[in-house]
Amino acid sequence: MTAFLQLAFNGLALGAAYALVALGFVLVLNATSAVNFAQGDLVMAGGYGAAALAALLPLPGLALLPLVMAAMAALGLAVAALAYFPLMRRPASSVFISTIAVGLLLQNGALHLFGPEPRAAPAVLGGGQMHLGHVVLPYQSLAIVAIAAALVLGQRWLFARTQLGRRMRATAQDREMAAALGIPVRTMIALTFALAAALAGASGALLSNQFFVTPTEGGALILKAYIAVVIGGWGSLEGAVLGALLIGVFETLVAAWFGYTAAGALLYGALLIILLARPQGFYGEAAGRRA
Amino acid sequence: MTSAALAQSWRRLGARAPWALAALALIAYAASASPYGLRVLALAGVQVVLVLGYQFIFGHAGALSLAQGAFFGIGAYVTAILGSRYGLGFLATFPLSILAPLALAAAVAAPVLRLASHYFALATLGLAQVALLAAVNGGELTGGALGLTGVPGIVLFGWAVPRGFAFTAVVWLIVAAGAWLSLRLMRGLTGRAYTVLRGDPLAAAAIGLSEQRLRLAAFLLSAGYAGAAGALDAHVLGVVSSETMAFSVMVACLAMTVVGGSTRLAGAFIGALLLTYLPEWLRSLEGYALLAYGAALLLAIVLAPSGIAGAIAGTVAALARPERPILPAPAELAQPQGPSGLPLLVVRGLAKRFGGIEALKGIDFTIDRGEILGVIGPNGSGKTTLANLVSGFVQSDGGTVILAGHNLTPLGASEIARAGIGRSFQQPALPPELSVLEMAALARASLSNDLGFRAALAGRDRGDRRERHEAEAMHFLRILDADAYAHYPCSALPYRSAWRVEIARILALEPKLVILDEPAAGLNEAEQGELARNLRRLARLGLGLLVIEHNMPFLLPVADRVMMLDEGRAIASGKPEDIRRNPAVVSAYLGRRAGLA
Repeated sequence: MTAFLQLAFNGLALGAAYALVALGFVLVLNATSAVNFAQGDLVMAGGYGAAALAALLPLPGLALLPLVMAAMAALGLAVAALAYFPLMRRPASSVFISTIAVGLLLQNGALHLFGPEPRAAPAVLGGGQMHLGHVVLPYQSLAIVAIAAALVLGQRWLFARTQLGRRMRATAQDREMAAALGIPVRTMIALTFALAAALAGASGALLSNQFFVTPTEGGALILKAYIAVVIGGWGSLEGAVLGALLIGVFETLVAAWFGYTAAGALLYGALLIILLARPQGFYGEAAGRRA
Repeated sequence: MTSAALAQSWRRLGARAPWALAALALIAYAASASPYGLRVLALAGVQVVLVLGYQFIFGHAGALSLAQGAFFGIGAYVTAILGSRYGLGFLATFPLSILAPLALAAAVAAPVLRLASHYFALATLGLAQVALLAAVNGGELTGGALGLTGVPGIVLFGWAVPRGFAFTAVVWLIVAAGAWLSLRLMRGLTGRAYTVLRGDPLAAAAIGLSEQRLRLAAFLLSAGYAGAAGALDAHVLGVVSSETMAFSVMVACLAMTVVGGSTRLAGAFIGALLLTYLPEWLRSLEGYALLAYGAALLLAIVLAPSGIAGAIAGTVAALARPERPILPAPAELAQPQGPSGLPLLVVRGLAKRFGGIEALKGIDFTIDRGEILGVIGPNGSGKTTLANLVSGFVQSDGGTVILAGHNLTPLGASEIARAGIGRSFQQPALPPELSVLEMAALARASLSNDLGFRAALAGRDRGDRRERHEAEAMHFLRILDADAYAHYPCSALPYRSAWRVEIARILALEPKLVILDEPAAGLNEAEQGELARNLRRLARLGLGLLVIEHNMPFLLPVADRVMMLDEGRAIASGKPEDIRRNPAVVSAYLGRRAGLA
């Protein structure tokens, strides 16, 4: 039982970091109806950003986090300017492809700047741990859960309580109507990219302490974000967060018993089965045009 | 030789000359190239084959598959495993390397191809990840992360092809064969069918093109080409590892296809050669190949969405637009016949539920030959759902649709379109990239089964047959006075004339029943009169018509019978003059108060 609880906690911490990735992914998806395939590579960039900043400024992770997120928000704006706005009126698959290209640039940029060796960012608070019964709770894992929860709640607050958030929501729901109401739609979309990249950056900074960061890790992360969004219901913010938590726990449990390969294979297998059973996704996306 | 024939052979020469020059340049380069140069050239040929294959699914079918790299890897592993472990020769391993990914594609096609846009991309990416995991963790069989070495060279009928010029020549002969097949399959009307599918799947189904079959054929071909490319790659490099199946292979293929052009033969060559040689030219920036690929991909998708080949072809087409000669239209084509005595269309208990909403609660009606049935009802009463169910665009939850004695209930939209029910849409469903004539000719070709890869291989989708389909298509355009629009792109059609083209398209499939969804919307009174005259004419030819309309002054004079829907039920049915006075109709249409007054 203790072993199970320990694994479940580890999985929860991993899932909390995934949740930030999935949340950023689904925010952009809602705002643009396009898939940002570079979301995983933005996580990677956040990890390197945190590691690089730590080398310059000897501060604890918690103090670096806002800096990383700000830098990543700027990167998110750049992604929007390069890979989204020029393709705004083209089929959604163009953005899928342009963000694959952005991912390629980020990966190989990181490879040239930092080399292929894994890097680690500093811990958020420090390397200690506490015990709850026999379950070990490392401070880093607790910090990941706490920060992820704070960011998820912060995003909810932004969308539910602020004028800016309401404008971003209106843009995501119906761009033309939002524009007709005088909302600066392009600005809102750019801010959504910035927010998504900041969340990805936070996730990268949090993950890279325990799991290290390598230039090519983005591919696996984007797949997990994608799966989380499919599980949680295409377009649902809460669903994406829950789906990501589920994936984190699933992966940790299966990996403990059968190894990481089996965990990956089972996850992708489960994805194929989900798509097979609900080909239109859980949200019934294919509404079709009024014929 | 007439001047027209002379002009045509000149054009043909003009189209072929660049290819001949390119082939000569290639041979001249290869004859003087170093062993290293020949090896790079062979690798470029491998990429051309991979991209030619990817053009089928990504370019023509318009589906973003992310499994092309995995199919490539599977082809390479099959060649490596069978060649290095079991000592099989090229003539056995090469076909098997094509068959293995093709079989995998066939196995996953049924569920995966049903998925729309990014779900398809995701599912194929998941497939690729599973294949990669299998390769890395395949133990002995796949050599794990290190891979397999000692892949034998190519041996053809006892002749061990020596590395260097001969080897590269064999690779490029296979490239040429792949290009020939691709051209053969896509140059005729079948290629245009894919254009329709890409632009508007609804329009494709409406002219009887089966989306499922077209997508399946493209997916299988792309997998087969990828397997061939993978096998050649294994022979050129002599080693196969998990790198062969990595996502970077997929991304490179995508970049080559987008940069070169995703639907043109020349695009595969331009993209693959350019991106293979780019890193060679940028030797001083060693290791930056993938960075360059990323930049090239981003630039291409933003600046030249149809690729370099598409940009060139667009410029050439703008300079000289060849007018294809069109045969004179034949005399009247035979009008459809069927068993008499029974009603033409019999619909029983047709029902549809969307989630918790019952859109149709069991509708019964019939339509006779030569009869026009008007369908009226408030918004949301189920009129369009009725049209969608009868024409197969939406699957019903219950009930039957029988046309001239044939049960059409289990058929899909494209099959029903060819089985005798044609329909229009509230928003005209016309393929934006095709001309009106091409679109109508496609309908003719789909009716006589002159579309698809089998027809293309047999040459049935071009040449004389194509000209005949175009001539017959012209006939149907003429019936509706739409022949003046024959060479208009469908996207440039004036709205007020779209109905003529839509009805001509329907007639081109020789239907027995025609369903029109609000055909009079947006027409002025003169045009409405024109439309009504044409509907009467179709009825006189023996067709049955189902006309959904809100416009009572238009509908009541033209309809023989009117059925009123309300909240998914037929609440009244009868002659137009009775319907006008029916209290249920008055109350539903004009409000209860007006009904009482």
